[in-house]
Amino acid sequence: MRKVAAISLVGFCFVMWMYIPFPFLIPKGFPPPVYRFQNNHRTKEGFELGRKLFYDGILSKDGNFPCSSCHQQFAAFATYEHRLSHGFNNQFSFRNSPGLFNLAWNRELHWDGGINHIEVQPLAPLLDPHEMSENLDQIIGKLKKDKLYPALFSNVFGSPGINSQRILRALAQFTASLVSADAKYDQVKRGTAQFNQYEKTGYEIFQQKCARCHQEPLFTDFSYRNTGMEMDSTLKDFGRMRITGRKEDSLKFRVPSLRNVYLTFPYGHDGRFSTISDVLEHYNSEIVESATLDSSIRKGITISENERFYLITFLGTLTDSSFVKNPLFADPRQGATDFAPADSH
Amino acid sequence: MICFMLFSYSGKTRPGSEAELMIHFQAYVHGEPLLLNKKYKNPFGETFEISRFRFYAGHIQPVYSDSGTESNLYSSYKLIDFSDASSTMIILPVAPGTCNGIRFEIGIDSVDQVKGAQTGPLDPIKGMYWTWNSGYQSFKIEGVSPVSDQPAHLIAYHIGGYRYPYSTVWKIKINTTNNELFRITKEYKIVVEVPVELDYFFDGPSPLRIKEISTCTTPGEQARKLSENFIGSFTGLTLTSNP
Repeated sequence: MRKVAAISLVGFCFVMWMYIPFPFLIPKGFPPPVYRFQNNHRTKEGFELGRKLFYDGILSKDGNFPCSSCHQQFAAFATYEHRLSHGFNNQFSFRNSPGLFNLAWNRELHWDGGINHIEVQPLAPLLDPHEMSENLDQIIGKLKKDKLYPALFSNVFGSPGINSQRILRALAQFTASLVSADAKYDQVKRGTAQFNQYEKTGYEIFQQKCARCHQEPLFTDFSYRNTGMEMDSTLKDFGRMRITGRKEDSLKFRVPSLRNVYLTFPYGHDGRFSTISDVLEHYNSEIVESATLDSSIRKGITISENERFYLITFLGTLTDSSFVKNPLFADPRQGATDFAPADSH
Repeated sequence: MICFMLFSYSGKTRPGSEAELMIHFQAYVHGEPLLLNKKYKNPFGETFEISRFRFYAGHIQPVYSDSGTESNLYSSYKLIDFSDASSTMIILPVAPGTCNGIRFEIGIDSVDQVKGAQTGPLDPIKGMYWTWNSGYQSFKIEGVSPVSDQPAHLIAYHIGGYRYPYSTVWKIKINTTNNELFRITKEYKIVVEVPVELDYFFDGPSPLRIKEISTCTTPGEQARKLSENFIGSFTGLTLTSNP
């Protein structure tokens, strides 16, 4: 019995040792995450390897397109000021690059929800001929020949070898750690800051007119909706229907999170809206009728000039400047050496 | 934690897996073993060649006739690739008993489709994974046909999809022809031959004329129909003894 207790204690300490130095903290008020690093035990080394890969052009065919070329930290990991992003051989991406944050709460990823697990997401841009345009054999070959990577992989996964699973899991250790929960909005919720009068009014209008789909605290309900955007005749993007093959999903796109919305412009799946004001005007007067149009906006959302001002002021409180400046998430070559839990800001 | 590890370790040595069953998949056209890049005609008289033919077989197990219980020891996936003869022969650890068939799944079931990055037969490097619409194809048949209006007369049937109502994942059970019984014992090894008769892939519940459908590479209704045709290719087992 005593032996069992001793073993249990040792086991417990071992577990604590493994977990405590690098905890994944769930922000107060957030629901439990979908991705909990199951089968992909999160470590400082694993996170760092994923971060290095994220910023390394070695993953792309010509070396010029690391993940970070379309996901820039200062833009909350969207592509700053680009409707569509640039990829291999002067090509455009198919859709507007979304910001990367709070991905661990996403059951599905992409505008059409086509990705069913955070670990397999990188396969899409890695292999797409318009984006990174590489193939897995090449990537693995290049990493194996690199001076540093073989030892890093061996260290993280406990044995030598580089395969697609290890690359994808290391990337997930980084991307799932990108937690943004320290905007002024969050500080107000935690009681450490206060909205000013404009923000407060804007928040009330938001709750009335926007929060049904952009649900707090993640500012999305993760549903797919047709928001009355006319289909672009060159992109011919049917959204969710491309994934499910069901007519009722035609022209539906994922409700995007509004966190860091000031930084992630332009907006919409094809980036057609340059400003937040353009988006609000769309809901106010430009909704295009179609069979699958979301029932909640059939008559549009009436937003007056005044309301627009307050709403935009409130949305500014969703900018998490400590997230976009967090040196832990920055390009490691720029010399971020200090280490603290990924979500302590 | 240690107790848990012991428990899972002991789980791997369950009794009853001491015998072996060998299963051999062989593709046929018109009753002749399929050769890649050879010209054949489908039942509609259309000429075609196949350059690549792969499918996933999962959770393979014998069907025992002498008891109500099923052996459920083998719960992984095999990628059968007809360009790699070694992949067409599977050796399964199974419980001894008297059997009259085998059962398995074509494709990757909805639970294993959403498990993130995988290795082995499920490594996306095997070319059976869709990257923009996460999911494993159930089977893949590629080649050329003069009646195809695609570039270079290519034909491509990349059939997958695991979501309702267009799932291409099927549980199938194949009996021995004439319901013949076979015994699996520790000493005596038997080879179960599983023919995959491609004539039925074309001439199935939804007739596949290459002129009409030369490609199908996304999940959906068409893929579902072609997957139904495909399972019709598994007609019956024959038995040989282990050489």
